Amino acid sequence: MDKKPTVAEKVSPLKTVQETPSVLREPVIAPLVTYPIEVVVPEVRQQTPAVGQRATRLDGHLHGLGQTRYIDDLSFPGMLYAKIKRAGVASARIKSIDTKEAEAMQGVMAVVTGKDVPCNSFGPSLKDQPVLAYERVFHAGDGVAAVAAVTEQIAAEALEKIKVDYEVLTPVLDPLESLKLETPGVHAPSANIYQSKIIKKGDIEKGFAASDHIIEGHFRTQMVEHVPLEPHATIAMWDPNGRVTIYSTLGRITLGRADVARTLGIPVSRIRIVATIVGGNFGGKNEITTEPVLALLSKKTGRPVKSVFTRPDEFIASTTRHPLIMDYKTGVTKDGKIQARKIRLVLDGGAYCSWSETTLGKACILSAGPYNIDNLYAEAYVVYTNKTMTGAMRGFGAPQVCFAYESHMDDIAALLNMDPLDIRLINVFSEGSLSPTGQTLQSVAIKESLLQAAKRFGWNGKGSADAGANLLAEENANTNMVRA
Amino acid sequence: MVTVTINVNGEKRTASVPPETTLLRLLRDDFNLTGSKLGCDVGDCGACTVIVDGKAVNSCLMLAAQADGRDVLTIEGLATMDRLHPIQKAFEKYASLQCGFCGPGVIMSAKALLDENPDPTVQEIRDALGGNLCRCTGYVKMIEAIQDAARILRDEPVEINR
Amino acid sequence: MKRRGRGMACMWYPIGFTVSANPSAAVVKIDEDGTATLLTGTVETGQGSLTVLAQIVAQELGIATDDVQVVSADTDATPMDTGAIASRTTYVTGNAARLAAEKAKEILFEVAAPMLGVKADQLEAKDHKIVVKGYPQRNVHIGDVASHARVVMGQPPIGSASFNPATVPLDPETGQGKPFGTYVYATQIAEVDVDDETGEVEVIRIVASHDCGTPINPMLVEGQVEGGISMGVGFALEEEILFDSQGRQINPNLTNYIIPTSLDMPEVEVDIVDNYDPTGPFGAKGVGEPTLVPTAAAIVNAIYNAVGVRITSLPATAEKVFAAIQAKRDAQPKQITA
Repeated sequence: MDKKPTVAEKVSPLKTVQETPSVLREPVIAPLVTYPIEVVVPEVRQQTPAVGQRATRLDGHLHGLGQTRYIDDLSFPGMLYAKIKRAGVASARIKSIDTKEAEAMQGVMAVVTGKDVPCNSFGPSLKDQPVLAYERVFHAGDGVAAVAAVTEQIAAEALEKIKVDYEVLTPVLDPLESLKLETPGVHAPSANIYQSKIIKKGDIEKGFAASDHIIEGHFRTQMVEHVPLEPHATIAMWDPNGRVTIYSTLGRITLGRADVARTLGIPVSRIRIVATIVGGNFGGKNEITTEPVLALLSKKTGRPVKSVFTRPDEFIASTTRHPLIMDYKTGVTKDGKIQARKIRLVLDGGAYCSWSETTLGKACILSAGPYNIDNLYAEAYVVYTNKTMTGAMRGFGAPQVCFAYESHMDDIAALLNMDPLDIRLINVFSEGSLSPTGQTLQSVAIKESLLQAAKRFGWNGKGSADAGANLLAEENANTNMVRA
Repeated sequence: MVTVTINVNGEKRTASVPPETTLLRLLRDDFNLTGSKLGCDVGDCGACTVIVDGKAVNSCLMLAAQADGRDVLTIEGLATMDRLHPIQKAFEKYASLQCGFCGPGVIMSAKALLDENPDPTVQEIRDALGGNLCRCTGYVKMIEAIQDAARILRDEPVEINR
Repeated sequence: MKRRGRGMACMWYPIGFTVSANPSAAVVKIDEDGTATLLTGTVETGQGSLTVLAQIVAQELGIATDDVQVVSADTDATPMDTGAIASRTTYVTGNAARLAAEKAKEILFEVAAPMLGVKADQLEAKDHKIVVKGYPQRNVHIGDVASHARVVMGQPPIGSASFNPATVPLDPETGQGKPFGTYVYATQIAEVDVDDETGEVEVIRIVASHDCGTPINPMLVEGQVEGGISMGVGFALEEEILFDSQGRQINPNLTNYIIPTSLDMPEVEVDIVDNYDPTGPFGAKGVGEPTLVPTAAAIVNAIYNAVGVRITSLPATAEKVFAAIQAKRDAQPKQITA
């Protein structure tokens, strides 16, 4: 397939095209896309009963053909492109925003700032997040202005022309600093600890007294981004009936519509939100981001407006996973039965609450692990910092606390010289166990899952959790070794 | 403006575009071939993978002008009116894609691999997909599907377990 | 030298939060060709939730997955849904979809009863037919019943329903109460190689044994587990957003923020634990989020098993693991002399 067109073949259309003024040039017609019209349905999709079948996905056929339409694949006549200017400073007072030069640019159709937003706050529980930062910047990814232009490139250039004068303030970055009462409030006068939760069960002092060993562990986790392959994308367009249709990568359209209604100050009946197939969510697309801004730009220009996050936007301007600082203290008997556990969790909430309430709640409830512990005290706090906001992410705090409670469990096993499987089997829930919140548990399958995994893996018991420590001590030991 | 003529999916197309236009933008914006996706625009994610003169390339890293006169195959050019390409079929059958956004790029990388190496090992498949990020699937069912498609393409009798 | 280790982690995860209202609504319409359409306000974000919902509706109506069209995610056209969050779709939206299908089916039964000369409660929907229980030869095709319902009885078979796991606020002092509808459970066991000269960790193999109640679609459950594990590997070893001293991210791109590629993925073995939850649709609970929950813990425990160092902060980068190994080596002679 090495047939390059000859020069002669190229010259004539090239000349024609070059000589045609661009306004008169014919619109490009898409080349013919061929795909089978007669669809062969995989057999398993046609079988009954349906439950339990390895049925192929409803969207699997279109995915394979590259014909699934994501938002960036849609376009409408006269559509504009929007870009959002990010603050780039973590904490600041905005002294002024000058958009004149950007507005004067050819191809720029509209510019909006926080003052154009009818109700400039939203959030799934606390309404502490501005649509566009005005007066104050709370983290470096805050949007401060938005531009709609005829091309993406003009919009990007226009952002450079917007002048924002900041009075830079000292950011609060360390969650443990933020926890201290003397630390200035990120959202002063509100306190930095903006949610907390306590779970109490039994009497931990009595439990510790009844223990043969008391062991402590301290764990930390990092901030993580969802990285959906499809970045956040939105198209907003008003119709002559005064309704706005918003195509959005939102995972929850009902809540999204309420947030858009609140921020724009219009009834929900004037808003239609359509989510196409979303290219990955993982919790990062659970709340609105640019939807109100796009709606305002579309209203101002009377044209459809599209915006797609750049990959850096995706990191700095969407939610992330909460970093946790976790302190564990557990009392056990010499045969491995947990008597008491005390837990303190500090969640770095970043600049806004977002889904911190849910994350805090789940982290706290799950923090003791799937274990019968009669005496438990768990407390959790989430604090503001001037960092990227943290929110919902696959697991809502559970992966963080699981890292802690399961590391801690292996430390206990090592201390007692028990096999990690055995110590778990001694302590795990069974049908009818009471959870840390006193809920009677049904359909409990933790023991089965442990035994099944161990069998499949070939877990031959009586292994020490920290076998490697001996290996380091005797570099010659030949068990558990693999040639480098 | 530069004028670019490429042979895309077997058909010659011409467009006049600003010189900084990438092949990906040309395909998506000018030729309305939106199957190739923009995931990062800097060559990290592979969602824009297409085949240029037989090689899988990140179309966000290639200028449209660099593709002038060359053969470009996109996801839209894999199926015919009569049949799906065996890779597409296998990806559907194994539910290899979840959100699907990385899919066109992954499938084109797989196609480039199988064109060169009809019987790849699992490690060779992993190597070939090394530049295609997927956040949903863990790649497991993609690898299974590519092995299945390779078997079909080799015209061997196929046994599908599960 | 590379040292091999193994580590396990188990977990529990809640499905269907109840501390605040958590409703889903659904509408099911049955057409005269024996197929059905489900309207749902949830959003397909890749999990395969629409396929699972189609299977649930198909099961209730005795038809096949392919016979169910799903219309989703349009606030004008689809009923209210709390959304694609918190592993709630199969459980909460699934219950709503099943109840809506059941209501539409009740209309079919009322219409079919005189056609078959029995009472409505003697009927069941099976293999595309409305069948007299115990007498499979006495049946009418579901499409014929749907057509009869519309054309003769003037009663199109449409059902709508909603489901909300009963809302129960927790005691604010002690946190006691019933915050979730149910829970799922899982264990993952990881096998790793740790290079004690570089600290580099390679995950060789992960065995994952997950409870999700009834697996509505085992292939999609496997897909969730495999994908969750890849995210867990990233959480354990690679991913971290870094900030400069002024609070600005220094790696907001996929060049410097590393997520697992096909080359980083271990061999994954998925095992679904046989289970049934009476509160879920056909016994199903959920699987989306829990798949990544135990991965990092299992990997870090495997590192502990391989080289005896306890990594207490994630990610367990090569630098961090190597520093811990060095610290351990430095500490060892002292222990011997002591």
